[in-house]
Amino acid sequence: MTTRTWNETERSAALHAYGILDTDREEAFDDIARLTAAICEAPIAVINLVDTDRQWFKAEVGLGVSSTPLESSFCRHVLLEQDWMEVRDATQDPRFSCNPLVTPETGIRFYAGVLLKTVAGLPLGTLCVLDTKARPDGLSPVQRQTLHTLAAQVMKLLELRAAVNGQRRADADRAGVEETLAHSEAKFRAIADSMPQMVWSTLPDGFHDYYNARWYEFTGVPPGSTDGEGWNNMFHPDDQERAWALWRQSLETGEPYEIEYRLRHRSGVYRWTLGRAMPIRDSQGRITRWFGTCTDIDELKRMERSKELLSHELSHRIKNIFAVVSALVALSAREYPEAKAFASSLRKRINALARAHEFVRPHTETSAPTVGSMTLHAFLEALFRPYSDGTGAPRVRIEGDDAVFDDQAATSVALLFHELATNAAKHGALSTQQGGVVLRTRRTEDRFVLEWDEQGGPPVPGEPQHTGFGTSLAAVSAQEQLGGRLERHWRPEGLKVVVDLPATALSRRRAALSAA
Amino acid sequence: MCDDFLAMTARILIIEDEALVAMELRFVLEDLGYEVVGIAAEARSARDLVRETDVDLALVDIHLSDGPTGVGLGRDLADEGVTVVFMTANPGMVRQGVKGALGVLSKPTDERAVEQAVEYALKRREGRPVEYAPPELQVFA
Repeated sequence: MTTRTWNETERSAALHAYGILDTDREEAFDDIARLTAAICEAPIAVINLVDTDRQWFKAEVGLGVSSTPLESSFCRHVLLEQDWMEVRDATQDPRFSCNPLVTPETGIRFYAGVLLKTVAGLPLGTLCVLDTKARPDGLSPVQRQTLHTLAAQVMKLLELRAAVNGQRRADADRAGVEETLAHSEAKFRAIADSMPQMVWSTLPDGFHDYYNARWYEFTGVPPGSTDGEGWNNMFHPDDQERAWALWRQSLETGEPYEIEYRLRHRSGVYRWTLGRAMPIRDSQGRITRWFGTCTDIDELKRMERSKELLSHELSHRIKNIFAVVSALVALSAREYPEAKAFASSLRKRINALARAHEFVRPHTETSAPTVGSMTLHAFLEALFRPYSDGTGAPRVRIEGDDAVFDDQAATSVALLFHELATNAAKHGALSTQQGGVVLRTRRTEDRFVLEWDEQGGPPVPGEPQHTGFGTSLAAVSAQEQLGGRLERHWRPEGLKVVVDLPATALSRRRAALSAA
Repeated sequence: MCDDFLAMTARILIIEDEALVAMELRFVLEDLGYEVVGIAAEARSARDLVRETDVDLALVDIHLSDGPTGVGLGRDLADEGVTVVFMTANPGMVRQGVKGALGVLSKPTDERAVEQAVEYALKRREGRPVEYAPPELQVFA
């Protein structure tokens, strides 16, 4: 008895995989059953496939049924025990003497079966012959050889049959897949041709092999004429080099492609176009295709340009107004020489305002870089520059977190610091050579704090009796306008002013926009 | 305090398209004792003036009535031997410096800044020693 190395689940699965159970009669199998019966001179021959709960006959001679229960099966024993079993007289064999097939007068007396098993050794069933007469000598050698050979042939038939069916299924699948592909490509073309943008696609190496209808409408070129690398000729000569370099880079790195360039319209005119492309990757991450679009942005570009011009105009005018007002003040003061000090003070305040607004005036991409940094620190540096010492070194040192400020805050920021500096120059740390100011700005989660720290100036006698107008101006700017708190500390070593603002005070417009 | 020697010989050209601003500047310079030889609002009349009169120093706004022609004009005037100081609200436009020109004053200016800048410019023109430039004048390298 062979030791079993398989389990029923495996075996049953293998059997079912052949797709043979419950199929119709096939001539090839029927022929084998008939030949077996003839050569063995037996009335019954069966190609028997043993399932988990029944045995089913692919072919049989002399039985007239296609399936019988497993309990009375001879073949089951073969399956369990060996490759070959011969029972010469069933009535004498304790395994079968009580078998319902054997007990009747005309029951089974003789059995010979060869195991049908897979290449892996899983038993599927048997090729067997049965007789109602006992055969004390069993099968002859030729008969035995025939049984073995034909059993092997049955297995071959099963294998071939399964292979052919598998192939047929694969072909059907492929046809199904091809149809799905064709369908989705048709869908793609329909979408691509209906889009207002130009759409194109390339092979992984950048060879353009598809353009949608819009591209041909725009460029007016014959279909196919811009395949490969012909697209570059449609670009403005000044943009060709740049486009090539960028496209090459994308092909190499797989990074999305994006560029603004001038594309030649069929009328001969060049129009600004935004070109973008993205790679498609397979499951291994390799690029299989590039898909891209070209969007006409000529209108947009033109609007941008006129917006820029307008912005430029506007800021020029604003600048001019301040300059004119400042000049008017000075000119008017000439009429009233006794007002010279007043005019000077007023003019300085206006100039501080003008400078602050220079930092917040609407800027475009072209004008912004020429102005440089547009931040609080940059503005303050400019504001305090007149107070530099003889060598040009600043006497107000600015440290800490920078900030941007908008037009709503500009006036207040300008006046506040103008007053602090003016006062320091008149009475405080900036009125002597050795004195200086440290201005620390600090941002916390919801506050922005500025500390004006005068050092090295004349000793401070204490809190002054009257608050000058400038002081009130500073307080109003910080408190009423900016919504913060202003505290003055009259320390003997120098005045310290702390301005505590809400973090949004300097950019209230932006804060309001982002809250909306 | 300006030097009397300078005051007698220094001829200054104002190139500015905003008439009131130019007027005020003229008063300031004249008060300081300088001679204002003319006021031009755009490049062409500026060039005409320089051709007709001797000019020591030109205060040039970058944006004039004929457009942003001040930079080119300043370069040309410097070629003619005029000391050029730009005056503009955005000095960033000439941040890299302009060949031949001395520097740039940030507008809005006040009398003191103008006074210091003019003194410095004339000293440099005469080849006289100067220690530091006034803080509001950005001198080109």
